[in-house]
Amino acid sequence: MIDRLERLTNLVANLLATKRPLTLEEIVELVPGYPTGKAAYRRQFERDKDTLRGIGVPVSLETVHDGGPEIGYRIPPDLYYLPKLDLTKEEQAALHVAVTAVRLDGGEDGIGTARGALRKLGGLQGEAAPVLAALPTLPELAPLFNAYRQRASVTFSFRGKTRQIDPWGILFRHGHWYVIGHDHDRDAPRSFRVDRINDVVLGTPGSFELPQGLDPGSVLRDDPWNFGNEEPLEARVLVDAAAAPTLVAEIGAEHVVERNADGSIVISLSVTNRDAFRSFVLDLLDHAEVLEPAELRADIVDWLESLTTAAQR
Amino acid sequence: MSPRPTVGPRLERVLALVPFLAANPGVTLDEVATRFGVAARELERDLEFLPFCGLPPYSPDRLIDVEITDDGSIRIRFAEYFERPLQLTTDEGFALLSAGRALLAVPGSDPSGPLASALEKLAAVVGSGEGLEVDFAASDLLVPLRDAIARGNCVEIDYYSAGRDASSTRVIEPALVFHAFGHWYLDAYCRVAGDERLFRVDRVLSVRPTGEHFEPAASRSGATTPELGVFHPAASDDRVTLRLLPSADWVIDTYPTESVTREPDGSSVVVLAVSGQVWLERLLLRLGGAAEILDPPEYRGRQATAARRVLARYAVAHE
Repeated sequence: MIDRLERLTNLVANLLATKRPLTLEEIVELVPGYPTGKAAYRRQFERDKDTLRGIGVPVSLETVHDGGPEIGYRIPPDLYYLPKLDLTKEEQAALHVAVTAVRLDGGEDGIGTARGALRKLGGLQGEAAPVLAALPTLPELAPLFNAYRQRASVTFSFRGKTRQIDPWGILFRHGHWYVIGHDHDRDAPRSFRVDRINDVVLGTPGSFELPQGLDPGSVLRDDPWNFGNEEPLEARVLVDAAAAPTLVAEIGAEHVVERNADGSIVISLSVTNRDAFRSFVLDLLDHAEVLEPAELRADIVDWLESLTTAAQR
Repeated sequence: MSPRPTVGPRLERVLALVPFLAANPGVTLDEVATRFGVAARELERDLEFLPFCGLPPYSPDRLIDVEITDDGSIRIRFAEYFERPLQLTTDEGFALLSAGRALLAVPGSDPSGPLASALEKLAAVVGSGEGLEVDFAASDLLVPLRDAIARGNCVEIDYYSAGRDASSTRVIEPALVFHAFGHWYLDAYCRVAGDERLFRVDRVLSVRPTGEHFEPAASRSGATTPELGVFHPAASDDRVTLRLLPSADWVIDTYPTESVTREPDGSSVVVLAVSGQVWLERLLLRLGGAAEILDPPEYRGRQATAARRVLARYAVAHE
């Protein structure tokens, strides 16, 4: 164990300090601890290289002399070193509070990742904090975040279909992570729930530019009844006093168009997804009634009537 | 044969430790152990092997020189190639930024304090700009609730229970607020129920101080990490068996099911714990024809009954 750690530390030092890429033979010569025999030291070096890349050490493979046939390895210092952050004590302590107050789910791994990051920034300063919030961690977040940082288009599978987007940002809202971006097939901004995304593949870095003055949050259309492409309909819904306060807290007072003496309210919504609008209204049970337009009112009535007759079959 | 799995994390620690020691000459063993969250003994082991590391020809001036004085302070020399730490990985950058942005999104956080400035510096290095946002539902009640928790003040709340579709007033001893699954929750001892209860903050209609203090129970003094899984079906909850068409598969993703059986025709038979009758009615109305109750038999008419009750609002004649 000690031997391997020693060899790996020396390997990092040598690959960082070298002016030109080192061939495998040179590495074995310069770094003590490799076995004799070409097959054996090659295998051992491959394993060491995987370990280094596994913790994020950028080991690169390059030609030793420009245009020459020989290839060698080095660690480019500009990729290895963390740029100077100059965090103050207070800033370090604030980050410590953040990673302890916000629990990254994914168990010890999530916590270990944040701690590992803090060590690089100068260790744990100040006190830990009690847990205040939980954020889910998902394997697809890091590649999507990388794609965003590199301005690389991505393809992924979403609900069984392949989609291609230019990622404009990643956003956590309503308990879920979303990636927001320009959808190539729809030629329009779209949002996707990250926990429904698989098989993220990055395209070429620098393949798009962020739109000017972008607010990623505004792309994620909050209100489910708005999350569709149907012709917009202005709906008016009467909501009882009993359900009104919670509803207003949820959707915002800007939707309230009438306040009645009995505490009931009328809300106005622009509906582009009728299914979602119906679910929203039915969630209020008999505390709500669609007033207008007749078309949406009829939708609800038809839906409910089909349920009363279904039971009689 | 797999490579020894523990060498990676230890190497990571060493590559962070050396730059820290180089930048802080004279720092003590105990201080470093606290900072790095490791036992002092483990730290000593790291420091013992470092003098064997360096560059060819591994002569004294090319090996890392570690000096620990009697008072435990550490000095390190000849490690200029490790003068700065390793770049953050994508995972690490994302973890730090998202935790930081999350805390900044909590009502009551200082938008121009040290956390905000730390995140700005970090975002510049990680290259994230505005592209990572965490948005917690806002609530005006969080600040008074957290204040009551900090001072050990009892409060009276009006609370809307969605499961029973009714409001009630109760005096509680608030213990903790936390955000999980898209909502703020309040963990409190409820004097009406005589037990601990979990409340959804967006359903708390109002908060009034009662002027009383309470002694926080020792087991809940904040030292324990709360289990943030919030919906635990109780053994006493009714179980229903539903047949769901594929269009209703979201139910399986959304609620904890006790069993799911896929049928050859693409439908699923699921068993759900029902914590409230009103909750079940809502679900059945939303699902419409995509759901059918199989068991228990007395539940089979639930959907039609609820549909008739809502229809009555529309004053439509029906059987």
